Amino acid sequence: MKQRKSLWLLLAPMYVFTLLFVAGPLIYMFVLSFETRAETWGVIHEFTLDNYKNIFQPVYLQTFAESFRLALTSTALIVLIGYPFGYFMAKLSEAWKKRLMLLLMIPFWTNSLIRLYGWIIIFRANGTLDKILMGLGLTDAPLKLLYTYPAVVVGMVYALLQFMILAVFSSCEKMDWSLVDAARDLGASPAKAFLTVTLKLTMPGLLSGVILTFIPSMGLFFIADILGGNKVVLVGSLIQDQLMKAHNQPFAAALAVVLMLLTTAMIALYKRVTHSDELEGVL
Amino acid sequence: MKKWISLALCLSLCLGLFAGCGASSSSAGADSSTPAASGSGIAAEPVKGEGTLNLYTWEGMFPQDVLDGFTAETGYEVSYSSFDTDETMLAKLEAANGGDYDLIIADDYIIETAIAEGLVAELDKTKLENLGNVNPLYQGQFYDPEDAYTVPYGAGVMTLVYDPSLTDVEITSYADLWNEGLADNIAVVDNYRVINGMALKVLGESYNVTDTDTIRAAGDKLLELAPNIRLIKNDNVQDDLLSGEVAAAVMYTSQVTLACLSNPDLKVVYPAEGVGFGIMAQFIPSEAPNADAAYAFIDYILRPEIAKQCFEWLGYYCTNAAADDLIEEEYQSFLTLPDGFDSDMEMIENITPEAEEMHMQVWTEFKAACE
Repeated sequence: MKQRKSLWLLLAPMYVFTLLFVAGPLIYMFVLSFETRAETWGVIHEFTLDNYKNIFQPVYLQTFAESFRLALTSTALIVLIGYPFGYFMAKLSEAWKKRLMLLLMIPFWTNSLIRLYGWIIIFRANGTLDKILMGLGLTDAPLKLLYTYPAVVVGMVYALLQFMILAVFSSCEKMDWSLVDAARDLGASPAKAFLTVTLKLTMPGLLSGVILTFIPSMGLFFIADILGGNKVVLVGSLIQDQLMKAHNQPFAAALAVVLMLLTTAMIALYKRVTHSDELEGVL
Repeated sequence: MKKWISLALCLSLCLGLFAGCGASSSSAGADSSTPAASGSGIAAEPVKGEGTLNLYTWEGMFPQDVLDGFTAETGYEVSYSSFDTDETMLAKLEAANGGDYDLIIADDYIIETAIAEGLVAELDKTKLENLGNVNPLYQGQFYDPEDAYTVPYGAGVMTLVYDPSLTDVEITSYADLWNEGLADNIAVVDNYRVINGMALKVLGESYNVTDTDTIRAAGDKLLELAPNIRLIKNDNVQDDLLSGEVAAAVMYTSQVTLACLSNPDLKVVYPAEGVGFGIMAQFIPSEAPNADAAYAFIDYILRPEIAKQCFEWLGYYCTNAAADDLIEEEYQSFLTLPDGFDSDMEMIENITPEAEEMHMQVWTEFKAACE
């Protein structure tokens, strides 16, 4: 009995912290989304559903569609690059695994914003990439690479790739490779052995990688702002605009609530479809 | 190994979050400052004030020389605290019930709100000997029609800037930006009132129309501009003009200053449709702990020679008529209005929520159409 009590005491700060800093803001945002904006500044405590109705205007629905499109494109590319990366990394010797892991982590020692500015230097007119291409004689005038959709996708893939690599790697690493040998012994071609054994067994890793990249890419609007010249309007940038520029706090809150509901629904759907109750490393 | 991975993932997630915070764009008002031309010595006066001046404004609004000179002459120490957006300032001032700060410098529209909330003290003009130096063009504006509460400190004037070596189009008006010759070659600031306002001006309307149909019409006009837009952003737009990423730009005054200092061949255009402008103004909060220090400071920077130092540093249009002639030649063309300047000037004012909402909708459509 006494032990349970002390356990409670130990956990209490955690509960307080969670209530205060997680539940608190969420409730605040939820309530805010049903309030009315004041003439110039702040909100009036008057119940309204207008903020949610407003979301159904084609222009705002469009931003949700745009966010999905970008998230899907980036996630697909990340899977294509990240899966083989994680797969082959797991096959390296212990020493090389550690070295590669270190290499993957080093970029994180620098603020991601600064790393994005690096991409600007590469992409901009007469920038690094332009100079290389012109030096090789492949192009004769500066290409307009910066502030385009592909530039945004590159930024997204760059920012989120390691989540996929690490998730796939951890899955491949735990896998019992003798199962693949068994499949091969029993006559499966390498491709068939991969598809029926390796892919199935590493699926949880792949899926958690997808969630770890898809969900953040719905919200990483600053990449679209910096590399896309603000021309790709995502829900994140819309929320920021409404909050910081239009001073429409209730509408921004409503957008945020809907975005959260959508991502939650997606995770639920994911679990349903894949029958995986445990997504490796994430949930 | 698994622990390693979880730790790595956690770490990178956290860093990602912080980066997101850092990325939010900075305020529309004071986004950068220009290097100072160093000041001359200031004659010391015997009268010394007591205590501290609590100055609250954006970062980098004054050259250190001026702040030091003020302290040396008056005896008031300057405690400089800064905000990133006007909204932050108002929130803090509200929380302090008009106290804590002696002098605040912020943008026009937010001051209108602050005055309406009773957070601003009426000025005792007898304490401001140099008030007559203010350029009357920047007085009597919407946020303080009687000039009872504020003294302007710098103005942003919406000019067009272009690099004649990068385009054959000669730009003299907003309408010229619609020229097909500028396809994918224009940068604009990420400010919907300014850019939507540009389309309103082309249609011959005011910045501050509240009729939603008119704003919608401006939005439709703006959609035709979309193919010419290469980028929309608030920070360091001048870099893109200087690097040749774009040939023309609609940007904030401090950015125009930086661009022109780096490349004197750039052309600054006062659009034929009329010129929009914004004012940064000083005010004393209603419960300022040391209002005397604030008066001393306002009066100090109203002196022409001090104002000259300030505006050359700040890179915004000079609001001190007596200082206009002192401004160095190389700054004249973008810190002072040309002689005989008689364009229609109009400020962007607070408008109704319905009109705001239509602006925002039109703006979102425009941004998406630029892709």
